[in-house]
Amino acid sequence: MSPDLIDPSERNTHREDGDLADGLRRRDPLAMEILYERLGRQAFGLAYRILGDGPSAEDAVQEALLTVWRQADRIDAARGRLNSFVLTLVHHKAIDALRVKRGQQARQISVDFAEVEKVGADFSERVLQSIASGEVRAALTRLPEEQRRPIEMAYYEGLTHLEIAAALDLPLGTVKSRLRLGLEKLRVALRAGSGDELRRS
Amino acid sequence: MNCDEVEDILGAYALDALPGELSADVTAHLATCSKHPEAAELRAVAGALAFAAPEAQPSAALKTRLLEALREESEPADAAPRRIGILGWLKPPVRQRAVPYALAGALVIALIALVITNVGGSDEPRRAASSLSGENNAGAVVYELEDGIIVLDAEGLKPLDTAQTYQLWSIASGKPSSLGLIGTAPNGEALAVVRADLNAIESLAVTIEPAGGSIAPTTDPVLEGKV
Repeated sequence: MSPDLIDPSERNTHREDGDLADGLRRRDPLAMEILYERLGRQAFGLAYRILGDGPSAEDAVQEALLTVWRQADRIDAARGRLNSFVLTLVHHKAIDALRVKRGQQARQISVDFAEVEKVGADFSERVLQSIASGEVRAALTRLPEEQRRPIEMAYYEGLTHLEIAAALDLPLGTVKSRLRLGLEKLRVALRAGSGDELRRS
Repeated sequence: MNCDEVEDILGAYALDALPGELSADVTAHLATCSKHPEAAELRAVAGALAFAAPEAQPSAALKTRLLEALREESEPADAAPRRIGILGWLKPPVRQRAVPYALAGALVIALIALVITNVGGSDEPRRAASSLSGENNAGAVVYELEDGIIVLDAEGLKPLDTAQTYQLWSIASGKPSSLGLIGTAPNGEALAVVRADLNAIESLAVTIEPAGGSIAPTTDPVLEGKV
């Protein structure tokens, strides 16, 4: 895509996040306050959706942001990536807490900024940062129940494909293919949605 | 693990729904094989599910707790004065202009306000939105960092003992709403970042409240100003 398709306001966003990442690297609490005000409600909403109670959800958000603070040296400027990194951390902390609550072992999946960074540059840069949260929700809602449910069980409940197969009483192969198919449909929907977004702006 | 086996579980992999060892095998395969370009996108799509959860408001205590935890983790040597912090990275143009740091009282505020206003043009989203004033040269500049997020940059606030705190309020239709608690440095300076819709606010005020803050102001403002 040619650069002039980018909304000029996005350039500010990029620049500003250079400042924010810089502030985090300098361990300036103000940078964390800004990050918190920007992303706190989304982060808490996610943790709350997973854990279902406020205090545990707040703990997950706090742990995730403290991890950002500790790993700040590895964070770079782009907003899409910083947001993704933070929410990925919140997700993992919340899922770990949920598994502990259920008496299961925490998965302790490590999250590294470098890994978030590797996520297809085209997709994460251009699509993820322009999608409105409502679009993801709508795309998820449009999936057939048989694909949506396994995806929700994996993402919001932290279940493995084996656990999902057992819970839904389905063959493992069916669960694998429904997870894949559902994600493919979401990918198409989000790509289309973000295209509209860019044209509108 | 071969390519077919990886493709078979790529959806589960993207959603972190594989047992640890299996997931590590896929990661190792993807690191050396270029035949799965969709893997990164599927992971990004799975990551985007974070945005499908509805936003929710955490308790005001979370922010206070978080900032306390940061302070505990930071080495005292790292704790550069926050005003230098904000001049250093938040507004690079200010530092380049070498604003004299030691200038006293209201002059600094005036200068900062001026600089903020000046850089508020072309590609700078930040602009001074309001200034607050109080007795004994206490004052503050409020500016919008980005839509819905404002920064309060205050000074001349007398230090409080631990039983009290400064609290920031927005006032709309005569009704105050808490925007949060403000910590002050020993030199009377304070910086706070809060979420507020300036279009929906008539004025801002800072009051002294019992530690932990109040639901509504219980004292007269030490700083106030129209937006």
